[in-house]
Amino acid sequence: MRPVLVPTSDVNSETGLLLAWHAGDRSKVDAGETIAEIETSKAIIDVPAPESGFILRAASEGAELRLAEPIARLFVDIDELERYSEQEQRRRAEVAEIGPRATEPARRRAAELGVDLASIAEEALITVGMVEAAAATTTAAVDLPDPLPGVAAVPRIALFGAGLGANQVIDILQRARSGTAVAVADDDPSRWAGEVMGVPVVGGFERFVALFGEGAYDAAIIAIASVSARAKLRDALEANGIPLANAIDPTTRIGAGVTFGTGNIVCAFCHFGVETVVGDNNFLSAYNSYDHHNKLGSDMATGPACTTSGLVMLGDRVRLGTGIHVEPRVEIGDDVQVASGSVIVASVPAGHAVKRRAVTTVVVPRRHDPGPQSMLISRTR
Amino acid sequence: MIAARAMGDALRVALNDDNRVILLGEDLIDPYGGAFKVTRGLSTDFPLRVRSTPISEGAIVGVSAGLALSGYRPIVEIMFGDFLTLCFDQIVNHIAKYEAMYNGKVTCPVIIRTPSGGGRGYGPTHSQSLEKHFVGVPHLRVVAGSLVHDPACILGAILAQDSPALLIEHKLLYPLHMMLPAGGRIEGFIADEHVSADGLSTISIRPVPREDCWFTVLAYGYQAELARRVLSRLAVEEEIFGELVVPSQIAPLDWEPIDASVSTTRSLLVIEEGVDGFTWGSEVAARVSSRFFGELRRPVATAASDPTVIPSSKTLEAAMLMTSERVEQAIRKVAV
Repeated sequence: MRPVLVPTSDVNSETGLLLAWHAGDRSKVDAGETIAEIETSKAIIDVPAPESGFILRAASEGAELRLAEPIARLFVDIDELERYSEQEQRRRAEVAEIGPRATEPARRRAAELGVDLASIAEEALITVGMVEAAAATTTAAVDLPDPLPGVAAVPRIALFGAGLGANQVIDILQRARSGTAVAVADDDPSRWAGEVMGVPVVGGFERFVALFGEGAYDAAIIAIASVSARAKLRDALEANGIPLANAIDPTTRIGAGVTFGTGNIVCAFCHFGVETVVGDNNFLSAYNSYDHHNKLGSDMATGPACTTSGLVMLGDRVRLGTGIHVEPRVEIGDDVQVASGSVIVASVPAGHAVKRRAVTTVVVPRRHDPGPQSMLISRTR
Repeated sequence: MIAARAMGDALRVALNDDNRVILLGEDLIDPYGGAFKVTRGLSTDFPLRVRSTPISEGAIVGVSAGLALSGYRPIVEIMFGDFLTLCFDQIVNHIAKYEAMYNGKVTCPVIIRTPSGGGRGYGPTHSQSLEKHFVGVPHLRVVAGSLVHDPACILGAILAQDSPALLIEHKLLYPLHMMLPAGGRIEGFIADEHVSADGLSTISIRPVPREDCWFTVLAYGYQAELARRVLSRLAVEEEIFGELVVPSQIAPLDWEPIDASVSTTRSLLVIEEGVDGFTWGSEVAARVSSRFFGELRRPVATAASDPTVIPSSKTLEAAMLMTSERVEQAIRKVAV
């Protein structure tokens, strides 16, 4: 038996969405044959069969799965598959006898937060909410820190999301001086009372809203790269009357007539050509270049080194991977996802994905170099 | 214990407890024991009261009507639910009407049991779920077996009434193990039982307290089992929490447990295997929409098989019938 894993080095995604199966359950597949498609926050990945054999699916279409876990298992012959499947069913039947004690997300959350499921007195199914409540009662004992006071005449900014995005935004704000980061909030109670680059993590969404009500900050920035989270949080902040602020790195080159909405994060060395219109709440990584007369939607996220030609239009919640080139006048619809390294020459309708054959870099020792220094050549195929 | 065996045992209890009970149907007697082996062994133990009949559904049901009018408690097996059309006249124009026609001076408590449903590749005339043609008939009780209702309780409750009943048993349930509530639980999930005045129960199954469920799924028979499995998996793997309501009597419906769930979740999906259009689900949708107008968070959703003839090819059949995948799709739509 060989587990089939999703071939990804996408460090931004822990989970993916199983879009489609291309191989039937218990069917025979050849090595390299595409058996499934997985959508991560950055790309749609084709999953090839690592070798020939019979396939036993471990997830169903539409399921959100952890990328570290196998999506299927491959067996040399069908008998071996059936034996495994039977064993697995017996094991599940045994679990079923007593019923599951906690949901799978609750188990994972308990492991993350260090909560012992046995400590939760609950007769029914234990949920993530119960685990977090159990963690919060221990965390709440520690007083949540207050926001920093900020600097006179500089807008005080609070960030939502205490992950790696927060570091980037705080760094931009420190250089741009367009605002001072005074607080960070996060849904994850294990991050509470910690800090990001000297800025305290003050609690979760509730505290975030409460602090705005107390006048502890002037505007918010969503420091999370996931477009669905950005869109959801933007709605939630708007519902609470919390305005967004831009964080634009001072190395950005902004052409004449360029307009920005609010809530945008623009990392270092970006370029916006003349008359380009940028929507709200986009997270644009370093070295993005949008040439003249582009129009960007809202709630987008991009990887580094995305470049567009003139008159390109990008819709809402568009996700661009790393190193993407877009030809002039191309229109990319809402919710489109583009794989890293794509060159887009024609418009992409809303809700579609741009896929690309994986580019593998093979690292080999130099064959004819007898010298003392070992050199590495990388080549693509 | 598997459902076919549990039904057989329930029939045995009925034969034991009440001398007026008579089983009639095609090929019921041993060694064959019925097309789905539900009655296996019964003719050996009750040779006079378990009888195989000629192949004429109209005659079998007509004879049962006579037996019932004479004070017997006939239980008829129609080999395939598709053949109910052959006794439609006896059921609709006679059995369901006698009591009213004779102003309550007679009763006609015939019980008609029949295996229904597809999924076995039996083709257009051995796979249907025709109960939607019976659910609107006045004075006819339509009951559906499931894995969560004890057939002995169902049969006991029907026999305790003096009115006719059609009992639908999905053939795919026969080989599956019964999953009766024990200690208020089914597989660790909360299971409530609501018993109607007629003694027929509705089981509500939920992974978490009702207040934490976002939607209600109403289904009976085999579709209830498909929905139960999907809901159980979605709850454990993704924390998508829905309450499943499984009535044993599908017409007339006991609205109390349905209303109780929907008034909290404010969202309902009704699933059935019969073909779409003028369905049980649309009747429920109309009633619930009217009762909860303005309170529901989304229109009542219904899911049924494609309105076409059931093909013999298993692949084509799976493409038009309600399957586990379609149940999951329907649930995911209301789970957002």
